[in-house]
Amino acid sequence: MNSIEEKLWNYLDGSCTPQEHETISQLIATDQTYQQKHQELLAFNQELENMELDAPPMAFTYNVMEAIRTEEASKPLKANIDHRIIKAIAAFFIGTIAVLLILALANSHADNVHETVQIPVKVQLPTLTNYISAPVMKGFLFFDVVLALFLFDGYLRKKHTTVS
Amino acid sequence: MQSKFSDIELIEQTLQGNQAAYADLVKRHQRFVFTLAMRFTKTREDAEEVAQDSFIKAYRSLQNFQGQSKFSTWLYSIVYTTAMTFLRKRRLDTSSIDDENNHLQLENQSGGFKNDLAENKSRSYYVNQAIEQLLPDDAMIITLFYKGEQSLEEIALTLGIEPNNVKVKLFRARQRLRERLERNLKHEVSELI
Repeated sequence: MNSIEEKLWNYLDGSCTPQEHETISQLIATDQTYQQKHQELLAFNQELENMELDAPPMAFTYNVMEAIRTEEASKPLKANIDHRIIKAIAAFFIGTIAVLLILALANSHADNVHETVQIPVKVQLPTLTNYISAPVMKGFLFFDVVLALFLFDGYLRKKHTTVS
Repeated sequence: MQSKFSDIELIEQTLQGNQAAYADLVKRHQRFVFTLAMRFTKTREDAEEVAQDSFIKAYRSLQNFQGQSKFSTWLYSIVYTTAMTFLRKRRLDTSSIDDENNHLQLENQSGGFKNDLAENKSRSYYVNQAIEQLLPDDAMIITLFYKGEQSLEEIALTLGIEPNNVKVKLFRARQRLRERLERNLKHEVSELI
């Protein structure tokens, strides 16, 4: 802190030692340059102290509290879901399916179990090797690569959003 | 109407579930928080967003407030980080559009400048105008020191730097502000002539 301006700012801010304060006070009283600069900085300091704050919109507090209320309201919904309810619903569906299955099996004719089922029309199943040729395989692999790149891009974008 | 309770009392009431107490805290600090946000964003819409985000973040982590520093110091550090994140994100997202916006803003500013010439502007207007033209860090440090009732040590806490560094930064910011103010006033006088 060497320049006159720096010393005077420290003096005005009250951030110098009592000894420095005393020295600067004397300099202001005796030295014309110090005196002039001191007046200048004092006026500028006063202007800064008088500067006005910007006013937010009228509904600012309301908007903040509304956002908080919305956040708070969504919290209990997430937190208060009782896992027992989910388990009960799952048990109900599993039970219903089991009962239906048992009923269906019970109502089927047990005597016909050993009978073989005859398909009226002779169905010829297609042989897969006819369709899997080299170009098809290449196309399939190319599609896989594109799909993988697409998914990887999606993952990176999601990661970038989370970080920022 | 301002609440008669201190910041700490209002925080305790908020933590006990009284949201109205937090609304009082917001009312008490909103002007200063909004001004700080304006120092960074330069537009009212963005400043509103930053200020609102800051208050919401403060509410979320209110239970982490230890009370070792003033609530305002803690809140301003949240505003600072929120504003920095906002600026970084905006720079990343809309760097190309920004150039255009800046250009438009400058045009509007000079337009406004001429239109206002006939008006009798106060000295405070010019100070505020010069502060708006400073770099966000300079503008913030000056605002914190003069309007935030923050000591050099508290500003250091808010900005996460050493108090001596704050002293140097404040000195430089004031120097730059004076230069800017003189330049603006000279420009104004030459426009009048």
